[in-house]
This record gives sequence, structure tokens and C-alpha cells, in this order.
Amino acid sequence: MKPVAQMDLVTMNILENTMVSICREMGITLMKTSYSTIFNEALDFTCAIASPNGEMLAVAEFCPAQIGGMPLLIRSCLQEIPVSEIEAGDVLVHNDPYRGGLHTPEHTLFCPVYVDGEIVAFTVAIGHVAEVGGMVPGGFPSEATEIFHEGIRVPPVKIKKRGEDVVEVWKLWLANVRTPRYNYGDMRAMISGVELGSARLAEVVKKYGREVFKTNCSDLMDYAEARMRAELAEIPPGKYSFVDYMDNDGVSDSEIRIEAHCYVRDGTIVVDYSGSTPQVAGPINATLGVAWSAAYNAILHLTDPSIPRNSGCFRPIKVIAPKGTIVNVDYPAPEVGGNTETHPRIAGAVIGALAQAAPQRAMAGEGGTHLNFVFGGHDRRHDEYFACYDIEVVGWGARPFADGNDATDSINGNCRVMPVEVFETRYPWLTEEYTLRPDSGGAGTFRGGLGTSKIYRCLDAEITASQLTDRHQHQAYGLAGGAPGATGMTHYQAAGAREWQTMVEAFRKRSTSKWSNVVFKPGDRVQILTPGGGGYGDPKRRDPALVHEDLADGFISHDTARRVYGVVPKE
Amino acid sequence: MRNFLLGVDVGGTFTDFVAYDRGQRELTVWKQLSTPKDPTTGILGGLQAIEARAIENLRLGTTVATNAILERKGARVAYVTTRGFRDIPFLQRGHREHHYDSGWIRSRPLVRRRDCHEVDERILADGAVLTALDEAGVREVAARIRAAGDIEAVAVALLFSYVNPVHEQRVREILAAELPGMPISISYDVLPKWKEYERASTTLADAYIKPVLHRYLRDMRGRFDERGITKHVVMIKSNGGEMTLDAAREQPIHLTLSGPTGGVVAAKAIAENLGLSHLVTLDMGGTSTDCSTIVDGSIAFTTSFEIEFGLPVQVPMIDIRTIGAGGGSIAWMDKGGMLRVGPHSAGAQPGPVCYGFGGEHATVTDANLVLGRINPANFLGGSMKLDLPHAEAALARLADPLGMNAEQLALAVSRIVNNNMVGALRTVLIERGFDPRDFALVAFGGAGPLHVSDLMAEAGIPRGVVPVHPGQFSALGFILTDARVDLERTVQMHSRRFDAERATAILKELIATGTANLAEQGYTHHLAVTRTLDLRYLGQNYELEVGIDFDEFTAANTARVWEAFHALHQARFGFHIPNEVIEAITIKCTVVSVAERLDFPTLPASGGSPQPTDRRRAVFEDGGFDTPVYDRAGLRAGDRITGPALVEEAASVTVLRPGYRLEVTAHGHLLVLAPGVEN
Repeated sequence: MKPVAQMDLVTMNILENTMVSICREMGITLMKTSYSTIFNEALDFTCAIASPNGEMLAVAEFCPAQIGGMPLLIRSCLQEIPVSEIEAGDVLVHNDPYRGGLHTPEHTLFCPVYVDGEIVAFTVAIGHVAEVGGMVPGGFPSEATEIFHEGIRVPPVKIKKRGEDVVEVWKLWLANVRTPRYNYGDMRAMISGVELGSARLAEVVKKYGREVFKTNCSDLMDYAEARMRAELAEIPPGKYSFVDYMDNDGVSDSEIRIEAHCYVRDGTIVVDYSGSTPQVAGPINATLGVAWSAAYNAILHLTDPSIPRNSGCFRPIKVIAPKGTIVNVDYPAPEVGGNTETHPRIAGAVIGALAQAAPQRAMAGEGGTHLNFVFGGHDRRHDEYFACYDIEVVGWGARPFADGNDATDSINGNCRVMPVEVFETRYPWLTEEYTLRPDSGGAGTFRGGLGTSKIYRCLDAEITASQLTDRHQHQAYGLAGGAPGATGMTHYQAAGAREWQTMVEAFRKRSTSKWSNVVFKPGDRVQILTPGGGGYGDPKRRDPALVHEDLADGFISHDTARRVYGVVPKE
Repeated sequence: MRNFLLGVDVGGTFTDFVAYDRGQRELTVWKQLSTPKDPTTGILGGLQAIEARAIENLRLGTTVATNAILERKGARVAYVTTRGFRDIPFLQRGHREHHYDSGWIRSRPLVRRRDCHEVDERILADGAVLTALDEAGVREVAARIRAAGDIEAVAVALLFSYVNPVHEQRVREILAAELPGMPISISYDVLPKWKEYERASTTLADAYIKPVLHRYLRDMRGRFDERGITKHVVMIKSNGGEMTLDAAREQPIHLTLSGPTGGVVAAKAIAENLGLSHLVTLDMGGTSTDCSTIVDGSIAFTTSFEIEFGLPVQVPMIDIRTIGAGGGSIAWMDKGGMLRVGPHSAGAQPGPVCYGFGGEHATVTDANLVLGRINPANFLGGSMKLDLPHAEAALARLADPLGMNAEQLALAVSRIVNNNMVGALRTVLIERGFDPRDFALVAFGGAGPLHVSDLMAEAGIPRGVVPVHPGQFSALGFILTDARVDLERTVQMHSRRFDAERATAILKELIATGTANLAEQGYTHHLAVTRTLDLRYLGQNYELEVGIDFDEFTAANTARVWEAFHALHQARFGFHIPNEVIEAITIKCTVVSVAERLDFPTLPASGGSPQPTDRRRAVFEDGGFDTPVYDRAGLRAGDRITGPALVEEAASVTVLRPGYRLEVTAHGHLLVLAPGVEN
């Protein structure tokens, strides 16, 4: 690691800002030109610049889930397509979880940045494509038992070669998905993004010169590493452990244990997941890339937000994820939910462990699920098949200085909820209710954030829906005497019926939270209740004025005010 | 008798005045300290400089609306919405401001949940009524609002009202009858556009500031009347147009970005004057820098403004991006030893170290002083002496750990703040698909001229302009504004089944509404109408604007519109999708009552090389130079200067890098040219 004093900090600062700005420009192109709502409303994608050996140099703030796995992902690609075979104008695509990917919906595109005949970097877009074939429309087969149920696997291939579309790859891919017109649009958007980034970065490298660029990129990573080491050095050395659980894997009933043991010493940290459950039959196994990402994500949440986001800041972090476990799955087990559901549980366990070491930075457990409600059907208005990946938001954990945020996307995403007016314009559902869930935030001196409730009614089509979520049984943890957040639940009501039932009761599914291919007919309803965040500190020590305010606004009930907070409601 | 057209820009520190005497064709500018608690006092103080009766037309830019929101000092508002959706203002959109900030706290809505009420009604995405409005329920809501006792305004936003407003309009009628005198904002009037949170947030903001603006405008009008300022007084809107005080009272939401628009409007006028068609504006003050663009002579507009993260105010307004970089931006060392500049600012108090008001942190202004670019004896026309030794000492403290001296550090600060601003220029140019080489940089505000040639070099912009009166440029823009109404309607139609008849009816209705709106305010002359369609491929979520020049849609002209969209998509994003279905999302129209063009004073011609009034050492990236200093007031039309050079005036200094040249235009603007670039 080069000493900071020997770096040209000014040029480095300028190059970093410039690269982040290019990443943002790539992201705006994706947002503006893509077709799926998970792209253009939810913004479930990442744009980055990587070094020729796959290290991340810069990234723009869109979706955080994808960044930790990027080095693994690009290196896996380069093992199959060596750098020497990548020409100017090539664009590569890849989604295979067993080649460094995160899960089948997440497609990675990258494009070389050529300057004077040399590849100086890659521009990278990783985006969640809503429809990937497989056993359910919308990409989350929660009852899958092998990777082949989870949609088409795309090993690293060129989708453009020297600036021209590789028609065979397009044909093969589009023949395997239910919504080819949408997939085509999303792929074009990602290609446009990486090509634009590549052209921009080439201009920048030409301006500064290749050697200056390379030196500064290397320095920039060393600098981020130094920053991270300085942050970690502030945490008292020691071993800190935490355990959290997931409800089940969708195909059996047993709970799943996630262990995180953090060894902090001399500005480094080892995150060891030993003791976690062996890999399971259902689709919530995590790949190694997910296990890395989750550790990085947790640690970035607890350290200074101004550390540059590049591979350098991950160097002081070592991850031990035993093979064949829930955190490092072996082929050919299913794993689509590992990236959305298991990631936040792993990250939460790491945060829970480090909360013991650095309580001032602690945050109680957050809802830890994206709710992953997916569906498809035939749209009569446009006479074509539609598929949608709908995410919902959860309550976040309270902190030693503030309540948890209500209704916020789980820690490994930063997606936006789709507006009701966009949703109903595109899909034949009627939204009957979208509200906060009073009392769902764990009580505490600072209260956990509230989860949400949404009710959809099937309007005038037959819709095949599935869900892959969690936290129907295990709550988001509280800290320092704070109570855990409320669990979530999904309810079904048949047209004309009065009763609401769980999916287990209504369709004999194994799990209330993970169910596939339920067909909704006009008048059928589904209610999605999302979990709340954990509280922080003893509820009896909450400022009574805040309790009265919460009560007046209906964020808590009279009963909670009296029983949990010991505050007598004013008349 | 003198006859003044007056522009007044109320800022945080100063209120700027620009008076144009129509008879004498004279322009006068001055400043007055602002009085933030009661802005009218500061305005009246400044107006003592001229005779009240001679004020023919006064145009005012204000931050009252913005401040009421940012400081949460608006009204207690009640919110009325569709059954099942009262939490929309609290749910917002679910994303966080930054990825990894466990300390982040969500923006507080402008309404309390206890004041949110639901009524039974439901309209579907196609405008059909699923559930009729429960009018008795609306009356019950009115009773609850009355019972709350201190509700000052009501915002109404029902689902899909942008497609079919009947329920919303009926709710307003009932509430108006039940709650006489209560200001009511309905979303269809404020922002008839899809996405319920964004529409609700905008409508809530309108209601939230309405009572504040009512009070402010009534008080101001009264005090103007007392002072004998009885003629036309108008407010500057966020779209750069003007509106009467009555219109401002009805739709105060249009005042959220009132002040900074003036500089963009003024830049546009100058561009026309100089024959430049593409401009990027840079208004650099003490704490922040505003950037905007003018492309093909047209100002860029946006409907995706957020007043703070997560609080959208989406009425059409000039697209101005603000970053935290200004003369007062503080230089600091982060934990890793990297030098950073801003976004924290020393502001006006204590200000930069060199002001001698007790500031201890080195700022951009201190760096410019140490680099010899600012004259310590001639700051603000010599009214303030700057403390160079203290500025040097503050920079030296930062420089030591890096093994640099104060001057080297000052240069680093300058480079970093320039790069931060280049980032902002990049977001308004490159991120929107424009090539900086086609643009001219118009730099104003107190600090803009100091950075103009550096920014041209860093951003690759070949031409620059330092206009006359850079310190009062926004107020100058106010006297150049037109009256302007922007209207839009979400339609959602397809290229495959385009309903030309419906589209025509909507377009004609928009034009009629806009024209009537201007007529109500008394603007009936020189009307100009522009019409635009927002189009996208079916499935996309963001639109590109295609201008049209007809009121009547036909098969032939719509076919041309689709062609134009494909071509625009190719140009903007590098690809298009032949034969793809195109969705028309919004029909927009702008009606403008074009104001008379003013005849600004010109300078006597000389055409020669002016004589410097002084010389001093100034430092540039290539090193220190013995640099000539010119007094801007002494320059004549046609004068040419080659850098390195400094041009001083009361409000600023124009810094010309070595090799850069400038020419003085007939109206006294400084046209800056990069090496090798011809006028």
C-alpha cells in the first residue's frame, strides 16, 4: 500500500469525481431507456467502472446489492473469455450464479475501454431483468429446487462484437423469456449505458494519459484501503458474534441459521460465517459473491460514508464462507432468493455483531426482505404477455439517536416503490390500500420504523403470482433493550369470500412467505404486510412527548402507549 | 418624468436592485442588506434610492416560499385523499438518500398524519369511476377539519385525478362551501400528472405555503401602496416568467425557485445579443453555485425538482442544478489525508478568513486572494479591506502535512473547487447528451468571473461570457422576463391507436386555458404558443420532448411526429427501435406574452488595447506571472486583452488564464476565448 503522502491527491480526487460522474451518466441512460419497472421505477441496477483485472474503481449510487460481487464476477468472465479476445466495440453479457453471478435475474454487461490499443478499464452495468424464463413469471420461483428452475443461465458471451449485434445470442436469449419485447428494451438500455460510459472514460484517459490514469486508480484504491483501515482501527479489537434466523426455504419447514463472527484487529476484520446452516433444498442459498457483498455492505453502513467506493476499501475485510452452506452454495442448488433475502439477513448479523463493539454506530434490525411479489399474465389491452417484479419496503431499525425510518427498502437495495398510478396503468390489479402498519415498529427509547400494508385486487385478467419473502416468523432484532419489529404476513382472499387466509391455508403451500404460481381470478385479493424494524433502548425511557405525538398520529395504539411505554394517553 | 422598470432579487445576504430608465435608456444597479425576518423592509430600504412614483413596473424574486418549506414554517395543512391512501405523504417512495448512511433520517412531510383524511371514491387508470364520491363523507371530513381548530389550508389529491378530475373538483366545491375562506389546493390544478406521491407532495407544498404567501403579499402590497408604489408589481415564477400578485396568491407553488431564474433569463437575452445559441450558465455565489443551460436559444425546463431529498415539487420550472461550491466553501482534510473543498461554507458570517470577521477555516476566496487574483485593497469597490496574512496562515496550516506551501495549497483548492463545478457542468451538459465544445459559459455571481477561464479549460468549453453587472445579474434578468404559463396533461395514447380527435381537443383546451390565465392577469399582447409532446417507447418510463407546430392532429402530421421521436432517441441515446410502439404520455403547451425588448446602453468604441491600471503577481497553474490589472469601468467596446490578466470591478474580478483572450462587446460584456478560438 502506497503511503498517502506520496500520492497526487488533487489529480486523484478529480479523477474519482469524474469516474463517479460517468457512472451516474450511465445509470441515467439505463433509467431513461429501459422497459421494466424494476429498472426504470425501482432503479434496481448498478453502474460501475472496473480495472482490467476486475477491481472496482468507481460506482454510482443506484442499487448497492451488486457491488461487492463485482470483482468475482468479472474475473470469472475473464477466465472464459481472456482479455486478449476482447476487442473494441465488444459488449459482454453474463448472469450465471455459478460463474460469479448473484442470481439469474441480475444481468451483468461490460464493455472494454480501449485507449491506444490497450484495455485500461471496463464499464459495467448490472441490472435486474424482470423476466428470465424458468418456472414462474417474474423470476422468483420460491419453490425451486435446482438452478434450472430459476430461468435461463447466460455464461459470459459477447452480445455485441466489434460494434455489431451478435444475432444468435439475442435470438437464443429472447426465445427463453416470456416478455421478449421488454427484455429486448432492457438489454438495449444496458448496452447503451456501458457503451456511453466506455466512450466517456476513453476521453478522460486520453486527456490524462494512460500511465497517470493507472497510477491514480491504483492510488485511489490504496487511499480507500487506508481510509477503511483507519475506520476499523477505531473499533476495539476482539471477537464479536451474532446469530439471526430465516423462516424456511419454501420447500421444507426448518428454520435457517445465519452466524456471523467478526474478528477485529489492527485495522482489519475477518467475517466468518462458520456455523451457518448447510445449504438448503429451496432457493434461498447465497453464492459466495452474495456473502462477500453482505459483509461489505454491513461494514460500509457502520463506517464513514465518504470513503471512496472501490475495491481498495474491501481489502482490509476478509470473508470466510464455508462451501456447501447457506452462504456459499454448491451447484446446482437454487439460489434466486439468496441475493434479496439472505443478503440482508447476513448483513444484519454482521451489524448485530459489530453493534457490540461500536454501539454508537449501531442500528437495530431492519425488515430485511424485498417482499419479491412477482406475477405475469396476458394483457388484453396490448395483446401481449406482461411480467412484473414488484418490491415492497420495510421498517428500518432504530439507532441510539433516532427512530428507525418507516417504509424504506431493505439494506441491500435502494429501490423505489412503484407508484399506484404507474402500477395500475400497466397491470390489471386494483390497489385497495397502501398504508403504514401502526405498532409494527419495535418499541424502544427510539422506535423501529413501520412496515406497510398493501391490498391488491385482481381486476379483469387471470394473473399468475408468486412470492419469495421472509420474516413471517423471525422478527427484526431490537438492541439495548429495544423490542423486535413486527413480523410480516401475506394473506389471500378468494372473490366473494370474507375470510383472509395464509397461502398455507388457502393453497396448502409449505410456506406462508415462499409460494409459487397461484392463479388470481377477477375479484381475488392479496394483502402484503411488511415487517417493521427493531427498537433501540428501553421503551420506558422514551420521551413521553414523543409517545403522545406517535399516539396522536396513530403510529402506535393506545394499548401500546399504556402497556409498553407506560404513558397514559391524554383524552 | 423618469419611468423605471425595476428588478429586485431578495437574497439571503443582499437584496439586489436593477433599474432601467426607459426614457434615458440608463441602467442603474445597487445592493442593500437583506432583512430576512421581514424582507419587505429591505426592499423598501433599497427603493429609497429612486422616486416611488417613477416606478412603472416592479418585478420581484423571492425566497419566501422556499424558506417556509425548508424551515418548516408553513401552515398547518389538512390532506384529503382516496380511501386507503392517507399515508402516501409518509410512505414516499422508499429509497434512501445515500446507500450506506445508517444515520440518515427521512424528510419530514409537510403534513401531520392526524390531519390526513380519506373519502370513499375511486377512479381507475382509464378514468372510469369505480366508486362514486361519497359526498356525505366529504362533509364529515370538513367537520373534522373544522374541529381541529387551527387548520389553515387544505390539500386534496385523489388517485387518478389527472385522468378524470370530477371527484377532486367536487370535493373542492363541498369543502369550499363547508369551510368558507379556507384556501384549498387540488392536485388537478397544481400538477395534473401521474405518480400519486409526487403529485401529492407538490399539492401539499402549495397548500403549505399559501397562507404564508397570502400574509406576505398582502403586507407587501399595503406597504408599497403607502409608499406610493402603486403601479404594476409582479412576482417572478420558477419558470422564469412573471405572474401578478393575485396569481401568486392562488398558486404560490410557482414561486419555489423564483430568484435564481433571473440569471438564466438574462443569459438568454445576452446570447441573442451576441449571436450565441448554446449557453451554460454558472452563478457562483458565497455558498453555492447554480448551473443551467440554454440550447438553441431555449431555456431548459424540468418537472422533477426536489426541494430536499424525497420532497418533490414538480411544477414546470427552469432546470437549475445547485451544488455546494462557492467563494465561502471551506477547504478541509478528510480522515485519509485527502484535500476536499465544501460543501460546508463559511457563509457571510463569519465568512472567509480574509474578511477578518473571525473565520478560521480557509475558503475558496482565501485561496483566490493568496493566488493574487483578488486585490486585498479593492474588494467590493474598496469598501472592505481583506486580510492577506491571515488567509496565508490558514492555508499554510492545511499545506504543512502535505509538504506544500500556502500558495501551492491555494492552487490545489482552486483546482478542486473548479473540478466540483465541472462536475455540475457535466451533469447539465454531458449527462444530458450535449457536447461542451458547442457551448459558451456565462459566468456571474460574485465568484463566477474568477473561475470562468479555468472552468472553460477544465470543461472543454471554448467560449465564455462575463456579462455586465455580474453581481446583480438575476435582478437584471427580472426586467427581461415575459409573462409565461406552462400547462400539461397526461394522456397516455399509442402510436398504434392514436386518438387524434381527443389529442386535438386536449391541446386546444390547454392553449385556451393558458391564454385565459394570461388574460386574467392582463397580458393579452404579443402572445406566443409552443406545443410539445412527451414521447417514449411503450415500456419505457421517461419521455423525450418532441415539439409540434400544429393544433390539429392528423394521420400525416402524427406520422412525422413518430419519425422525429425515433431520430431524437437515436441522437440522444445512440439507438432507436424501428417499428416499436410509441407512447404519447403528455401534451404540453406554453403560452407566453412576450415583453418588449429593452435597448441597453452601449459603450463608446475604441478597438484598441486598453492600458492596465496596475500590475501584480498572480498565480496560475503554469506558475506566477507579473499580471496586468484592468479597471472594467474604463474598458471600451472593441478592447482586446490577452491573458494572463485581471479585470476588476466592484462586485467581482474576471481572471484570464495565460493564453486566453477577451474582447469587450458593444454592450460591455466580456467575451472570453480559449486559445485558438475565434469570435
